[in-house]
Amino acid sequence: MDQIASYPVRLFFKKEGRACYISHLDLSRCMSRAIIRSGIPARYTMGFNPHLYRTFALPLSLGVEGKMEICDIKLTDELPFFEISQRLNNSLPEGIEIIKAAKPVLDPKEIMWADYSVFLDCDSKLAAEAVGRLKARDEINVDKKTKKGIKQQNIRELFTDLEITGEGFKSRIDVRCRAGVETNLNPSLILDALNRYEGFEPYFTKTARNRLLTKDFALFE
Amino acid sequence: MKLSDLELILSAVQKPARYTGGEVGSVVKKIDGDMLRYAFCFPDLYEVGMSHLGMKILYYQANRREDVWCERVFCPDDDMAKAMEENNILLFGLESLDPIRDFDLVGFTLQYEMSYTGILYMLKLAGIPVLAEQRDDSFPIVVAGGPCASNPEPLCDFIDVFSLGDGEESSDELFDIIKKGKKEGLSKREILKELSKLEGFYVPSLYDVSYNDDGTVKKYIPLDKAPEIITKRAVKNLDEAFYPDKFIVPYIDIIHDRAVVEIFRGCPRGCRFCQAGFIYRPIRERSYKKSADISKKLLEFTGYDELGVCSLSTSDYTGLEGMLDELLDWTESRHTSLSLPSLRIDSFSGELLEKVNRIRKTGLTFAPEAGTQRLRDVINKNLNEQEILSTCETAFKAGYTAVKLYFMMGLPTETDEDLKGIVELSQKIVNLFYELPERPKGKGVSVNISVACFVPKPFTPFQFSPQDTIEQFRRKQRLIKDEIKSKKISFSYHDSETAIIEAVLARGDRRVGKAILRAFNKGAHLDSWSEHFSAKDWFDSFEETGVSPDFYAHRERGYDEVMPWDHLDYGVTKSYFIKEHKKALSAVTTHSCQKGCNGCGAQRLTGGECQWIK
Repeated sequence: MDQIASYPVRLFFKKEGRACYISHLDLSRCMSRAIIRSGIPARYTMGFNPHLYRTFALPLSLGVEGKMEICDIKLTDELPFFEISQRLNNSLPEGIEIIKAAKPVLDPKEIMWADYSVFLDCDSKLAAEAVGRLKARDEINVDKKTKKGIKQQNIRELFTDLEITGEGFKSRIDVRCRAGVETNLNPSLILDALNRYEGFEPYFTKTARNRLLTKDFALFE
Repeated sequence: MKLSDLELILSAVQKPARYTGGEVGSVVKKIDGDMLRYAFCFPDLYEVGMSHLGMKILYYQANRREDVWCERVFCPDDDMAKAMEENNILLFGLESLDPIRDFDLVGFTLQYEMSYTGILYMLKLAGIPVLAEQRDDSFPIVVAGGPCASNPEPLCDFIDVFSLGDGEESSDELFDIIKKGKKEGLSKREILKELSKLEGFYVPSLYDVSYNDDGTVKKYIPLDKAPEIITKRAVKNLDEAFYPDKFIVPYIDIIHDRAVVEIFRGCPRGCRFCQAGFIYRPIRERSYKKSADISKKLLEFTGYDELGVCSLSTSDYTGLEGMLDELLDWTESRHTSLSLPSLRIDSFSGELLEKVNRIRKTGLTFAPEAGTQRLRDVINKNLNEQEILSTCETAFKAGYTAVKLYFMMGLPTETDEDLKGIVELSQKIVNLFYELPERPKGKGVSVNISVACFVPKPFTPFQFSPQDTIEQFRRKQRLIKDEIKSKKISFSYHDSETAIIEAVLARGDRRVGKAILRAFNKGAHLDSWSEHFSAKDWFDSFEETGVSPDFYAHRERGYDEVMPWDHLDYGVTKSYFIKEHKKALSAVTTHSCQKGCNGCGAQRLTGGECQWIK
């Protein structure tokens, strides 16, 4: 029987700069080590090979920045939330920072949407025209790599609020994409679509995930 | 370089975190004009280099000084190297992202022969000419150290100065001399000359070599009053030597991803094939208190959940029990596992065995190295069949079903009987399992034997011995394969071509450098990775530069022959190696140093006796 007290804590964190080049698996390991270094009373699983409880709500692709990512942990003792953030921030590497720690409100299954910004190095005029034409399409088919091979997928219904701003050689796309374990749209597929339908290919792109949202577009907490 | 410039190419490469730095524990400094910039290079991929303990020690030791900034540099994989070249990015330090071309000092660690082309590859990616004579005073000084510096001759065309022995002893002097020289406006040659006056620094350009008609070395002639013999540096007392209380914690999975404490340096066993066992002498132990203290600090700093100990023979550590007493309760309470490599259970008391048993077990591995007792006596591998069988019996009773055995082929005096002995021993283990009433039910046993090709190394009693040819190795591999009758035994062997290239490089002289350069120009780099390695390029290079494997690898060398490393003093004397070689040929063993001094000569370096913790 599991008799150790258990206090769930939700960590909201940023992953930026050099840190966005670490993969999901590496992030998971990195967070565990930061938890151990910080000395907060983290809860381990029972069993033969105990490991730290830590669950990430939604993995982030390699190279993408996260502005408000989520990791759930469990503690064996209650600790003020500000102290948890502070101690973890003293232990985390450059580029990963806890914004706040709080009691989890929603189940990660409630995550339905995510807001992204994609920063592009390209002719902003051409980009705006290409995005405008893409938005007007009823159907947008892209190749999606799955475990069974490459599959055609219509992504038109999987994003909303696609906007582009910019001038000169810099543009920025803001888009809200479906997110979650079952249906998830990586914004890189929108860039693929721009290439496929419009022959548009930026010189360089950098993507950031700004926030995770529920089905009603409320902030996931 | 700014991070944003690097980001332009990172999205196109595998494992970008190899190239971004920023890990916990990495040292970033504010540059000031007086600071010595040092690039510590490991000529292999990040995952390999980051696992190396020596780099961690020397990195933190250098960075404890305010006037030195030591950064890490690893060999980029092909995709990254290509992207760098296409975007005019020169090889950079992971901490500052600055090109190492502009540093004061570039250092390479020489851990294995097959990394040599990696040195040339990294220099080229850095925009630094690979040949020392083509580098003017505007380029960094290139230094190299590590175990393969015990025969540095094949690398003399590329390296300005070799640091022999324990780097903890010599690093500060190296930095000081370079700083002082630059301040006084000395030329590179003058700085190198200053270094050559200090113990442990070998400047190859200050020596001429003459050869006999048969191709062997006649004489090393020191120029400019350089010393005739260069003696390696040795830490006197390990407790007082520098050891870091932090490690860099990598993001990506590296080969040895754990905290490591070095418990002693040197080895009392004296296995005659083992270079490490001789060049790291004399034996110096770290006290158990200090070992435990370092372990705790490292685990606390890094957040690792695994601690490894490092030495050449864990069970010979006199502080093992004390260290476990200090550590076990603490590590268990924080869910940390301990790994103790190369334990010899036979030498343990019941009480110690109990402590060791609290540690989570990994596989069951033995390194008998040879298949018969006679040949094990020749190589002085003090492990007998009874020990192996009784340990297997205990392990099978405890539920183990897999055994791994390491052997070598091509050892001096080896006959077919010895090779058949490998299979016989393996079969005995299989039989033992099935004859045991307490064996794990419903499970089969598996015995994995791995047979490497023997490479004779400098500073061992077998430095005089010829290596087998490719044809001999292949016949022996077939012989073992044919001898195996049980499906429970699986057999793997190493590539014999690689072993011969290693042997040429290991015991080569200065003329071998031309072959390394030729192989590099044909594209050789990252040779320890099969997807990059081409044996043909190497053998073509040998042929084209007149470097004959018959001469360097397969030839018996006389006791009075001048070896290309005879002007280097690594402690153990040549006369001791001759004595040991003679004993080997008549299958006479030499006892472990713990039973009394055998007079190898290494204790001179630390002034007196070998240091065992009493």
